[in-house]
Amino acid sequence: MTKVIWDQVGQRLYETGIDHGVLYIPNGAGVYDTGYAWNGLTAVTESPSGAESNKQYADNQVYVNILSLEQFGGTIKAFTYPPEFAQCDGTAMPQPGVAVGQQKRKSFGLCYRTRLGNDIDGSDYGYKLHLLYGALASPSEREFDTINDSPAPIEFSWAFETVPVNVGTVDSVAYKPTSLITITSVDVDSTVLSALEDLLYGTVGTDPSLPLPADVLGMFSGTITDVFPTAPSYNNSTHTLTIPSVTGVTYYVGTDPITSGTHAVTQDMVVTARANVGYRLQQPSVDEFFIDYS
Amino acid sequence: MFIVDRLQFHEVLKAITPNVYFQPPPSVAMQYPCIIYHVNTGLTHFAGNLPYRYSEKYDVTVVDRDPDTPIRFEVAKLPTCTLNRWYAVDNLNHYVYNLYI
Repeated sequence: MTKVIWDQVGQRLYETGIDHGVLYIPNGAGVYDTGYAWNGLTAVTESPSGAESNKQYADNQVYVNILSLEQFGGTIKAFTYPPEFAQCDGTAMPQPGVAVGQQKRKSFGLCYRTRLGNDIDGSDYGYKLHLLYGALASPSEREFDTINDSPAPIEFSWAFETVPVNVGTVDSVAYKPTSLITITSVDVDSTVLSALEDLLYGTVGTDPSLPLPADVLGMFSGTITDVFPTAPSYNNSTHTLTIPSVTGVTYYVGTDPITSGTHAVTQDMVVTARANVGYRLQQPSVDEFFIDYS
Repeated sequence: MFIVDRLQFHEVLKAITPNVYFQPPPSVAMQYPCIIYHVNTGLTHFAGNLPYRYSEKYDVTVVDRDPDTPIRFEVAKLPTCTLNRWYAVDNLNHYVYNLYI
């Protein structure tokens, strides 16, 4: 045993700031396969709730204290938002520049980065990646004010609630569904973190995407292997598409995975290659392949 | 009217009166009536850990012997413009306005 020591050099930690906001819109299969940079992000407030005490009494004393289910919500503040967020805010865009309010609200995922500082490196000591899943924005007030002698851009604010997504069992540990995962850069393997950031922010040739919680935990519990997505081949005389078998790579048509082997083609299509959990597409590589039916 | 930068602002002021001076050195012999303006402070809004929007506050001084000079009313119509103070020096009225670009 060692005696505790306070305020050692390098251990005066603090957190500050927010940047690198990315909005993710889930596809029909619930996969967050497309991300959009969120400019003008000024604040994200994380507001967990629930887990309320519910004491049960017996024999004139507290017999058991049962906690209610914990929930997660928060608030996003920004000077602007990606156009794709409009559908998450109940706005349909039938034509570019034409917005129809009070429509269906779509859930979204969000990634943002906060700085981790200490007394040696300041705010460059490290950072935390916050991965948010299953968020649903509530209608929010917008006050459009006259330009006056205190010019300021409007700061939008959206409150959101979340529906936790399944995590499952990772490394023999069963986790409850969650809405938030936080990755601390100074505590994780830098190679795996780099692979995660390649997914989150995209690379040349790959779209940004938000891996599901099980995939994120799986990445950090194992090792990352670089794989090269072999291009599918197409025979335009027989109109057959041959999907190669590449370990660690799954090919998709739209949101549907497609198995290796030959498939009949009836129209133009785009085949997308995505790395499986524990794998990363080698850079540079092409992950989208256009199949010209003719 | 939306003023995007100082050079455009200068032209807007010159349309009000031909004698416009931006942060003039003491050696400049000024013609009256005139408008003298200089930077007061900057206003920065931050987002994503960086400055997101930057604007500058200017002191715009209308100098004229006529206390009811129409120049000051034209300046007062500019966006974000407010009258800060008045003072007189050497029989010249000085109306100091503030505005942001």
